[in-house]
Amino acid sequence: MKRNQILTILSIILLFLFLWYANNNLSAYYIRILNNTAIFLMLAASYNLINGVTGQFSLEPNGFTAIGAYTAAILTLTPAQKEAMFIISPMVPWLQNLHMSFFPALIVAGIVTAIVGFLLGFPVFRVRGDYLAIVTLGFGLTIRVVSNNTISITNGPLGLKGIENYTNLWWTWGFAVVTLIIIMRLINSEFGRAMKAVRDDEDAAIAMGINTFKIKMIAFVTSAFFEGVAGGLLAHLITTISPTLFTFFLTFNLLIIIVIGGLGSMTGTAIATILVVWGSEILRFVEQPMHIFNFTIPGIPGMRMVIFSILLIVIMIFAREGIMGQKEFSWDSLFKLFKTKKVANK
Amino acid sequence: MNTVLKCNKMTMKFGGLTAVNEFSVEIPEKEIFGLIGPNGAGKTTVFNMITGNLQPTSGMIYFYDKPIVGLKPYQVVSLGMARTFQNIRLFTNLSVLENVLTGFHHKLKYNLLDTILRLPRFSKNEKIMTEMAMDLLESVNLQDKANHKASELPYGDRRKVEIARALATGPKMLLLDEPAAGMNPQETMSLMYFIEEIRDKFDLTILLIEHDMKFVMSLCKTIAVLDHGVKIAEGKPEEVQKNPDVIRAYLGDINA
Amino acid sequence: MNTTLILQQLFNGLALGSLYGLIAIGYTMVYGVIRLINFAHGDVMMVGTYIAILAVSVLLLPWWAAFLLTIFATAFVGVVIDKIAYKPLRNASRISSLITAIGVSFFLENLFLVIFGGVPKSFPIPALFSGTLHIKGVILPVISIIVPIVALAFLAILMYILHNTKYGIAMRALSLDMDTTRLMGANVDAIISFVFAIGSSLAAAGGIFWALKYPSINPLMGIMPGLKAFAAAVLGGIGSVPGAAIGGFIIGIVEILAVALFPPLAGYKDAFAFLLLIFVLLFKPTGIMGEDLERGRF
Ligand SMILES: Nc1ncnc2c1ncn2[C@@H]1O[C@H](COP(=O)(O)OP(=O)(O)OP(=O)(O)O)[C@@H](O)[C@H]1O
Ligand SMILES: [Mg+2]
Repeated sequence: MKRNQILTILSIILLFLFLWYANNNLSAYYIRILNNTAIFLMLAASYNLINGVTGQFSLEPNGFTAIGAYTAAILTLTPAQKEAMFIISPMVPWLQNLHMSFFPALIVAGIVTAIVGFLLGFPVFRVRGDYLAIVTLGFGLTIRVVSNNTISITNGPLGLKGIENYTNLWWTWGFAVVTLIIIMRLINSEFGRAMKAVRDDEDAAIAMGINTFKIKMIAFVTSAFFEGVAGGLLAHLITTISPTLFTFFLTFNLLIIIVIGGLGSMTGTAIATILVVWGSEILRFVEQPMHIFNFTIPGIPGMRMVIFSILLIVIMIFAREGIMGQKEFSWDSLFKLFKTKKVANK
Repeated sequence: MNTVLKCNKMTMKFGGLTAVNEFSVEIPEKEIFGLIGPNGAGKTTVFNMITGNLQPTSGMIYFYDKPIVGLKPYQVVSLGMARTFQNIRLFTNLSVLENVLTGFHHKLKYNLLDTILRLPRFSKNEKIMTEMAMDLLESVNLQDKANHKASELPYGDRRKVEIARALATGPKMLLLDEPAAGMNPQETMSLMYFIEEIRDKFDLTILLIEHDMKFVMSLCKTIAVLDHGVKIAEGKPEEVQKNPDVIRAYLGDINA
Repeated sequence: MNTTLILQQLFNGLALGSLYGLIAIGYTMVYGVIRLINFAHGDVMMVGTYIAILAVSVLLLPWWAAFLLTIFATAFVGVVIDKIAYKPLRNASRISSLITAIGVSFFLENLFLVIFGGVPKSFPIPALFSGTLHIKGVILPVISIIVPIVALAFLAILMYILHNTKYGIAMRALSLDMDTTRLMGANVDAIISFVFAIGSSLAAAGGIFWALKYPSINPLMGIMPGLKAFAAAVLGGIGSVPGAAIGGFIIGIVEILAVALFPPLAGYKDAFAFLLLIFVLLFKPTGIMGEDLERGRF
C-alpha cells in the first residue's frame, strides 16, 4: 500500500522534472505539443469516464470545451479589453464588468459547464436509450448557432481576441494530473463500481438498488466540469477563440483516443493520447505535397480525417478492446510482471 | 403471522396481451412460497411488477403494508426486497467481489467528497464492505474466486454470486426466478438446503419461481399456480398437485 | 401578418416538414429493427444528392431517370454501409455500433470533402420544378406543392408494404422481438438490409427535394437536416413510421412559422429542433405514436 503511493508520487515528481527540463530547453513547437497533450489527456480521461466507464455514448466534448473556453475568457478579459472588442454590439453590463484572475476563472468555467451538463443530462437520463449521443451532438451544433447570435455575450462570429496567454506547462500538466487522480479515485470506489454496473447491465444495476439516474449524472457532470476547465486552459493557450473553433473534429479526436486506448481504461487513455496527439502531428504530411523520386504528389487537405474515420471503424470492428481493454496499470501488476520474468529467466 | 407481501388484483397488459390478470396473493413472514406455471404463464412478469421493473396496468402491491406500486426498482430494493434473474444477470466485467459489493450501494455510508479526498470515512467503509462481501462469498463457498471476473465463472457459480449479490442488499424478502435452472440433480439438492439455510440465517421470506417440480414440492410450504396470466390454484404442494385445473394446464402445455 | 402570408408559410412548412419526415423514416425504421441511431443517415442523404448531381451533369440523364438512379444507388449505399460497418457488430455492446455509426458519418463527410471540396455546388433544377403558382393571392413555389404530395405518396406505399407484404410484416415483428422472429424462421439479415434500403432511398428522395428547394449542396449538408429528422423521429415516437412523418411535419411547420412570426429568431432556427428534442424527452419521451421500445425484458 505505502510502497505504491511512494512510487506514484515519485513518478509525478519525475514528470514535473521532465517538464521543467522541457520548459527550459525545448522549442516553442514542442512545448505547444506538450501543452496540447496535457489538455487532451484531461479531455480524454473525462470523456472516457462517461463513455467507457459508465457506458453512456456521448458526443459532448466540443460543446463543453466551448462553454468552458468562453466562460473563462470572458472572466479574465479586462473590462477595457471587452469594451474595445465588442464593436457590433456592446457586452451586457454585468458581464462587461466581471473580472477574475486565471485560476478562479478556470474553476468557474468548470462549474458553469457542469451546470450545463446537469441540464442536458436531466432530460436524457430520465429516459432509457441512447439519446445522450444525439442530444450532445445537437448541443454541439446548437452552441455554435447560439454563440454566433448572442453577440452581446460572445461577440458573435468575431470571437474573443487578446486573451492573456496564462496557460503554460505547469497549469496544463498540473490540471491533467489532478483530473486523472480524481477520476481514478472515483472509479476505484463504490461510485465507480456502480458506473461499471450501469455499463454492464442497466436493468440489473437498478434492480440491485443503484439509482442509475444519479450515477450517470455523477459521471456526466464530472466529465463536464473537467472539460470546462480544459476549455478554459485551451482559450488561454491559443488566446483567440471563435464559434467555429470548437467543431466536431475535437470530439472525434477524443473518441479515437478512448477507443484506441480501450473504453474504460484510463491507462489506455493516457497511452492513446500520446499516440494520437503526436501521431497526428506526424500525419500532417499526408496533407502536404509529397516528393517521391521525381514525382510530386499534391497534398490532400482533409485526408487526415478520412484516415482517422477509417481507423475508428476498423478498430471497432476488429480490435474493440483497444490497447488496454478495461485493464489499468498498477504497480502491483508491474512487480508481478518482473517477478514472473525473473522466474522465467531462471 | 405477519403478512410480508400482499398483491391485490395485479394486472399487466402488453398492448393486446394480458400477461398477468388480476393476480392476488398473500405471503406470510419467513415462508418459502412457490410460483409455478407453464412457459409464458406470466411468472416473471409478476416478479417484475413486484420489484418495480414494470408498472402494473392496475392493482395494488403492499410490502409490509406499505404500497409499493409506482416506486422505482432501486427504491423497492432499499425497502428490503431483492431478486435474482431467470437468465442470470451479473455485471460481467466486474470481479465476483465487486459484483457483491454493488449490493451494498443503496446504503453507502460515504459521499463523493470522502471518495475524492480519500477521507477516513471512505477507507473505513470500503474495508467494512469488503469484509461483509467476503463473508457473503464464503457462505456461498466462492471466497477463493473473489477476484475472478464474473464472466469467467461456470454457470452454477454465477447463480450463487447472483444470490450473494442479492443478499448484500440486506433484504427481508428474496425473489428467486428459476434458481435451479440448468443445474444437475445434485446441485439442485444442495441449492435446496442452501435456500433453507439462508432463510433461517437472514430471516428471509422467499418467493421463488421454479419448473423443477420435485424442488418446489419439497421446498415450498405454499404454491400458487399461474396459467395464461391467471392464478388457477393455490395451496399446499400435495393439494395443488391433485388439482384438476393444474393438471390440465400442464398437460395442455405439453400437448400444445 | 395577414392570412395569405401565413398560408404561404404554412405550405412552406409543410414542404420542409415532408423532407424531415422522409429522412426521419429511415432513422425510425433502423432504430426499430436494430436499436441503432444511424448517425450516418443524414450523410447518406448528402451522398444521394451528389449522386443526383453526377447523374444529371456527368451522365446527362433526364431528371426522372436521374431520380430513379439516385434512389437505387443510394439504397445500395445504405445496404453496403450496414453490411460492412454495422453487421459485424450486431452482437457487440450497443456503444460499439454507435461509435461505428459516428465513424461512418465522419468518413462520408470527409471523403466527400476530399473528393468534391467544401465549395457548395449548385444543383440543376429542371424547369418543371422551378415555377411558382398563384392561387388566390397565395404565391407558392411549385416545388413546395410537389414535395408534400410525393412524400405522402411514398408514405402510403411504405405503409402498404409494412402491413400487407411478407417482408413488411416480418419487419414489424422484428422490431418487437428479434429473437422470436429469428426463431420463426425469418431471414433477419435480409430484413435488416431491406430496412436500410428503404430508409436510404427515402433519404435520397429527401435529399433530391432538399437540393431542389435549396439548390446549393456541400458535403456537410446532411448534418442539420439529419439532426432535425432525428428529433422528428423521437417526437413522432421512435420506431413508428407514421409517427416519423407526423414529427417531420410538426418540426418543419414550427421552424418556418416561428421565424415568420418572430423574425429576430431567424438566426436561431437551427436550434429549434434541438430544443424540441429536449422538450419531447422531458414531457413525452415515447413520442406521439410510439410505444416504449426501451422497456426492459428480463
Ligand atoms: N416487456 C415485455 N413486453 C412485452 N411482452 C412481454 C414482456 N415481458 C413479458 N412479455 C410477455 O408476457 C408473457 C408472460 O411472460 P413471462 O416472462 O412473465 O412468462 P414466464 O411465466 O416467466 O415464462 P417462462 O417460464 O418461460 O419464464 C409472455 O407472452 C411474454 O412474451
Ligand atoms: Mg420467466
